[in-house]
Amino acid sequence: MRPYLVLAPAFLLTIGILFPFFVAIYYAFTDYSLRSSEYSMVGISNFKDTLTSEDFWHSAIVTVKYAVYATGVEMLLGLGIALLLNKDSILSKFLRLVLIFPLMIAPVIGALIWQLLTNPSVGLLRLPLAWIGLGEFRWSADPDYALFSIVLVDVWIYTPFIIILVSAGLRSLPKSPYEAALIDGGSAWFVFKNLTLPMLSPVILIALVFRFMTSLQEFGIIFALTKGGPGDRTMNLAVQSYNEAFPFYNLSGAIPTLLLLWALIYAVCFVLIGFWRKAQKTASGAA
Amino acid sequence: MLLAHPPAASAQGFDWKQASGTTIHVSLNQHPYAEAIIKHLPAFKDMTGIDVQYEITPEENYFDKVTTALSSSSGNPDVFMTGIYQMWDYASAKRMEPLDQFLNNPAMTSPDYNTSDIFEGVFNGGKWDLKPGSPSGTGTLYSLPLGFEMYSLGYNKKYFDSKGIEVPKTFGDLVALSKKLKGWNGPGSYGIAVRGTRNWATIHPGYMSVFTNAGAKDFSIKDGKLVSELAEPVSVDITKQYATMIRDGGPPGWSNYTWYQCGADFGAGKAAMLLDADSLGYFTAAPGAAKESSNLAFAPIPVLKEGTEPTPNQWVWQLGMNSSSKDKKAAWLFIQYFTGPDHVKWAALNAKLVDPPRQSAWAQPEFKQKLSAIPGFYETFQAQIKNTSVKFTPQPFFIQSTTEWAAALQKIVLSGADPDKTMKDLSKRIDKDTSKLKLN
Amino acid sequence: MNDTKTNGPKILEAIGRNGLLLCYALFALFPLLWMLILSFKPDSEMFGSPFVFHPTLDNFRAVLGQSDFLGALVHNLVISVLAVCLSLIVGVPAAYALARFQFKGREDIAFTFLSFRFAPEILVIIPLYLIYQKLGLIDSYTGLIWVYQLISLPLLIWILRGFFEDISPDIESAAQLDGYTWWQVFFKVLLPLIRPGLVAAALLCFIFCWNSFTFALQLGGGRTQTSTVAMMRFLASDTVHYGWVAAAALISALPEVILAILIQKHLVRGLSFGAVKG
Repeated sequence: MRPYLVLAPAFLLTIGILFPFFVAIYYAFTDYSLRSSEYSMVGISNFKDTLTSEDFWHSAIVTVKYAVYATGVEMLLGLGIALLLNKDSILSKFLRLVLIFPLMIAPVIGALIWQLLTNPSVGLLRLPLAWIGLGEFRWSADPDYALFSIVLVDVWIYTPFIIILVSAGLRSLPKSPYEAALIDGGSAWFVFKNLTLPMLSPVILIALVFRFMTSLQEFGIIFALTKGGPGDRTMNLAVQSYNEAFPFYNLSGAIPTLLLLWALIYAVCFVLIGFWRKAQKTASGAA
Repeated sequence: MLLAHPPAASAQGFDWKQASGTTIHVSLNQHPYAEAIIKHLPAFKDMTGIDVQYEITPEENYFDKVTTALSSSSGNPDVFMTGIYQMWDYASAKRMEPLDQFLNNPAMTSPDYNTSDIFEGVFNGGKWDLKPGSPSGTGTLYSLPLGFEMYSLGYNKKYFDSKGIEVPKTFGDLVALSKKLKGWNGPGSYGIAVRGTRNWATIHPGYMSVFTNAGAKDFSIKDGKLVSELAEPVSVDITKQYATMIRDGGPPGWSNYTWYQCGADFGAGKAAMLLDADSLGYFTAAPGAAKESSNLAFAPIPVLKEGTEPTPNQWVWQLGMNSSSKDKKAAWLFIQYFTGPDHVKWAALNAKLVDPPRQSAWAQPEFKQKLSAIPGFYETFQAQIKNTSVKFTPQPFFIQSTTEWAAALQKIVLSGADPDKTMKDLSKRIDKDTSKLKLN
Repeated sequence: MNDTKTNGPKILEAIGRNGLLLCYALFALFPLLWMLILSFKPDSEMFGSPFVFHPTLDNFRAVLGQSDFLGALVHNLVISVLAVCLSLIVGVPAAYALARFQFKGREDIAFTFLSFRFAPEILVIIPLYLIYQKLGLIDSYTGLIWVYQLISLPLLIWILRGFFEDISPDIESAAQLDGYTWWQVFFKVLLPLIRPGLVAAALLCFIFCWNSFTFALQLGGGRTQTSTVAMMRFLASDTVHYGWVAAAALISALPEVILAILIQKHLVRGLSFGAVKG
């Protein structure tokens, strides 16, 4: 009984969310909208509409691209920076503090600052870009570079998240295996590959899980920068269903999209957590 | 001293204290017109004995917040700021209380209120009979104006004068001049600032004003159905011209531009002209607001055919009442007070109410004097006001149609999409939604 | 012992390491530095020469003087601090239980905690609003602290679970053999061992609660508007005021920065006895 009792408070505190979640699922089978107080059951027609709509599939692709690019770059960059910072120099200590500042600015404001920096008329980056002949570069206002530009902002905001987690992981690695490896004369790469990475992989995977699932849901950055434009170039599922649910007042029409997004996140996390379990076992037995 | 409440009202026997002791909740958008309300709240409380709890929400999120609150039927907020397009939705959903019953009841409305003092086009924006397709201004009154804005042309007078450039009179001239002015003030500068985000707000200012002037319409009624007219040759043609203007002379970052980037570029001397709200122009031209503030001037929107008159669309900030409000009398007194002649006149002089909806406010010599600091502002307003009205056809899919419309415009301007095909696709999409509407 | 041989590569390595770090630092910090500059720029010089201008405190005055922004900061502080504390109180034991005990449904329960983060906020916000309305939780501290558990608890539990699992059960039993009670073991041995993970997780939870927008916007109100929502109000009313937003955003980030500084020294493991891993 003991573990259940220990878990109970946390569980009771969050289980409340399941109720709105099930209410939302129920709405998906109705024509409930913010437009009217009355509604009726419509069966699976909302799901049918969603799955047969080109917009949905287009946004689904954008969603996955965005999440893969953003998470991929953040993981590599965050891991690299955390490893470089894993020294006890004054510079490292200072950088460990200041490099996480971008995460502390509200994402909407971060997006705003980048929009201002990259504004092709008044933005500060226009000057250095002009020196290398890119004075006309339009960043997120250019259909071909819009996705790149919003991913860049995501990377700027969330790489510190990876840095924080991986640094914490690095800081709690045991010292003895390293001493042993040093005596054996292992190369830095050998030590990293055979010691650091296996022991670090659980925390890396947890960072990956959280980053991937939130970037699949990303709304604030995209909405602040492009609202899904130009055209539909950066329209992901979250922005699309926001439009549907709020400005277009069609909540029940938006819910199937959100549920499918939920299912995608569920599946991705299920797989990743499986990897985590394995990595955790290896790490526990690594030393 | 400025907060002293108007003495005339109570002198005529109207009972402003009839809801004394009650508390109402008011939802406000972050806006200078809301700031004018907040400044006058103590005076309102003195006069009516009503306590006001208010909440201010950032503009980007304001209507989401109102939508959620209204749809919960909780009665909070009692009063909220709205726009005409949002009113069409909220009223269709029966979330808004009809105001005629209060307005026409002498026990509820002070004889001073005088609706004929309100500009006709602005007042009519608050009325609709809820039948999709029937014009704005018919039927029930749902909201009353706090202040409004019309669309006009701003230009950098100092530069125009120094180069001997004439302010364009026709839209053709405007398109040509915008192109010519690319780079007029160094790298990154361009001809004309207009909005371009993937949002309904891109369509309703300059674009809709010019669109209407070209004789194009958004909808017509055919065989008892509301049918999109956006694929008609006249609509496609004006859209092509507008897209050319943006491509050749608009902001390089156009698809990220909403009103404040337009105003910022105009004020910073990056945009030579501004086609947007006259109030935005006014705030940008206010002393110290921006680098070029003292060099800006205003003129009517160029017309399609020389000699005709401009047809500006309008945006009206209104007050509306929640149909679930539990204190409708107090809510009405609030609406009455803050859309009434005394507050409007006061706010025109002492707060940033640039476009007061009442003629009596404009008639104040001090107000004319205040506006005359900005060349062409007052004259432009007078020249345009009689043709200023809502140019859209009321229908509850407004936000959806115009958001899609903005996306289509982005595709035409930026991705080189074929205008004929894009407008046809857009038209089909819109018809798919509006075909669900019953017109009677 | 082989100092002389590796001196050259070591210098190269240091240059490479610091060079890469500085490149990233430029990318990460320049926008913030520029925000700092904007916060001292007057409106009329906002887009003129980037670095030469007449600095002013007007933006800070506008944010702090003529508005209720300080109140919004207090709201955010109360809500976020209490939300994180609550998460710590219920989450640390939960993470421990999921790490240490073998019981039926353990992985399912752990995954359920994670799954609370799967649902996009807009999916649940309307039903949640209606329920909050019924419970009288709209525009209340309790309501926001509660809903923030969805943001902080899954993160806290899953980060800490990994850190707890890294500690060998032998350490616990050894300490208990020495006569410590379980609580003493928990506070004196276990918590110091997971300290880097604990403070990192708490910091992240605080940051995400602090910057939460959708929940705060929709479920909050005049009495609880947080600084994250309130600062967007400075962006645009009559004209755009980038200086005001920059000032508001910097002020609003201060509590996070202070917290990060305070916990810096705890990011290093408290005890360094040998075999932490099993």
